[in-house]
Amino acid sequence: MAPISRRCVPFTPFEGELAGATVALVTAGGVHRRDQPPFNIADELGDLTFRVIAGDVDAAELMVTHHHYDHADADRDINVQFPIERLRELAADRVIAAVASEHVGFMGYTTQLRKMYEETAPAIAEHIDRHARPDVVVLTGG
Amino acid sequence: MSTVLITVSPEASRQMRPPRALYPRGFKVGNALGRPFMRDLQRRVLFDALALLTGPPRPGEIVEREYPE
Repeated sequence: MAPISRRCVPFTPFEGELAGATVALVTAGGVHRRDQPPFNIADELGDLTFRVIAGDVDAAELMVTHHHYDHADADRDINVQFPIERLRELAADRVIAAVASEHVGFMGYTTQLRKMYEETAPAIAEHIDRHARPDVVVLTGG
Repeated sequence: MSTVLITVSPEASRQMRPPRALYPRGFKVGNALGRPFMRDLQRRVLFDALALLTGPPRPGEIVEREYPE
């Protein structure tokens, strides 16, 4: 596998206007709903799974499971990592057309970079594309 | 799907050569959108990231912006 830094930039042009765009969030910050299984922080290899979060989720129902960054602020206000409420405000003000019906959280830390790149990332992209059909995805790290 | 990244690890992100990326300068890991409950700041960062979609293409480049604390 060629180093990622030597690959072409996977640039997808954006055509149209933001006001016509449906926007989804994908975060590597370990965000998930409280009633979903937490990410497996006991596995030194990391956790390559992801959690689907509905667009109408109550932000208070979200939490973080991630042991490689300080998420104390995200525990108080999930919007610092997963700005779902800010996205809703932009939709209400018609800056964007809509909040996507589904979003994704996963735990970015892993030593299995190849699997993350070749399996998890495409699976997330396929899920989001098929189920939420967003025009735009905003990514945040963890 | 077009993507835009909000990063607080610009050196690491630069190696990944993202199609579009915003680095709010000085923001730390765990606070991609800033501090808790600072709605206006969070919204501005999110908007600025989205605005990269309609600006001139700069694939692989990390755009840096300053935000007041």
